Amino acid sequence: MAALAPDRSQTWVVIAAYNEAKVIADVVAEVLHEGWSVVVVDDGSRDDTATTARAAGARVVRHSINLGQGAALQTGIDYALRRGAHTLVTFDADGQHCVEDIPKIVAALDTVEVALGSRFLGTIEGVTAQRLRMLRAAVKVSNRLSGLKLSDAHCGLRGFRASAADKLRITQDRMAHASELLHKIRASKLSFTEVPITIRYTQHSTAKGQRGFDAIRILFDYFFR
Amino acid sequence: MIIRILLLSALAAIGWFVFLKRNRLPFHIVVVFAILGLGAAAVLFPDVSDEVANFVGVGRGVDLISYLIEVAVLFVLLHYYTKFVEMQRKLTDVVRELAILRSEIDRGATKPPPSAGDGV
Repeated sequence: MAALAPDRSQTWVVIAAYNEAKVIADVVAEVLHEGWSVVVVDDGSRDDTATTARAAGARVVRHSINLGQGAALQTGIDYALRRGAHTLVTFDADGQHCVEDIPKIVAALDTVEVALGSRFLGTIEGVTAQRLRMLRAAVKVSNRLSGLKLSDAHCGLRGFRASAADKLRITQDRMAHASELLHKIRASKLSFTEVPITIRYTQHSTAKGQRGFDAIRILFDYFFR
Repeated sequence: MIIRILLLSALAAIGWFVFLKRNRLPFHIVVVFAILGLGAAAVLFPDVSDEVANFVGVGRGVDLISYLIEVAVLFVLLHYYTKFVEMQRKLTDVVRELAILRSEIDRGATKPPPSAGDGV
């Protein structure tokens, strides 16, 4: 697969992490091993996320207080853009994404400005029936809100050309940033596509994932913030 | 009646505190004193509020006052919620700049940090 991508280090993988000391080192090492640049934004964790990520070789930017995933992603995007990033990929810290999917996202950016990972076009491993139902409901709501027709919603694996990332400033600090992004993609008329990816739900990632009740808070943020 | 004394002294106390904070805009002070004056009038002449209420089509003065309070509370809530969201955005910007700046320092970067304002 080394045929494409002139220089992988110009693609910055942005990882927002909150209390992920247990898994962050593996994720960082895997991504670095493939030659991508990595910035981990430690969103005010109370554990050793920052130290662990730095030891694993990532650039680490640390929020002094916990602001939320949206804010952390935007910080990572700002950091990467200032480092002259060519393309940006957002990647989850909890190990649910596969590094093998990053080249697919980056390749898609040859033709479009934004590439959104879709687990429903790809593979979902280790998912419970209840979570699957919740995810499908989220897709419906999200499509209704954004006006886009997507097969997945709020998948954390996405890619942006630098020019597109510059236009999509996230102002939703917490979880509503995913809906905000879709809305802004549509509003700024950016070209986008969905890329089939694999999600591996582990016990760890499921425990840290969103629950049904969180949906209410996300909707509140989306409309009132 | 004791309640009148209580209400009037409460209003007077508020007036006194506003008077002490005269560094605010004179306009603020005038508005607050006007509201306090109306409050005191309502305490001293309860019948007037009934008449005003009847005039605008409300049965009792007390009801009119509680409607006005409702509107005022909603306004204040909304106003402060807007401010709160705005403050939070600013806080996010500050924390973000601080985080990026600190990472530059930690790396011992010799070049000057990116100019302020890049981020917004």
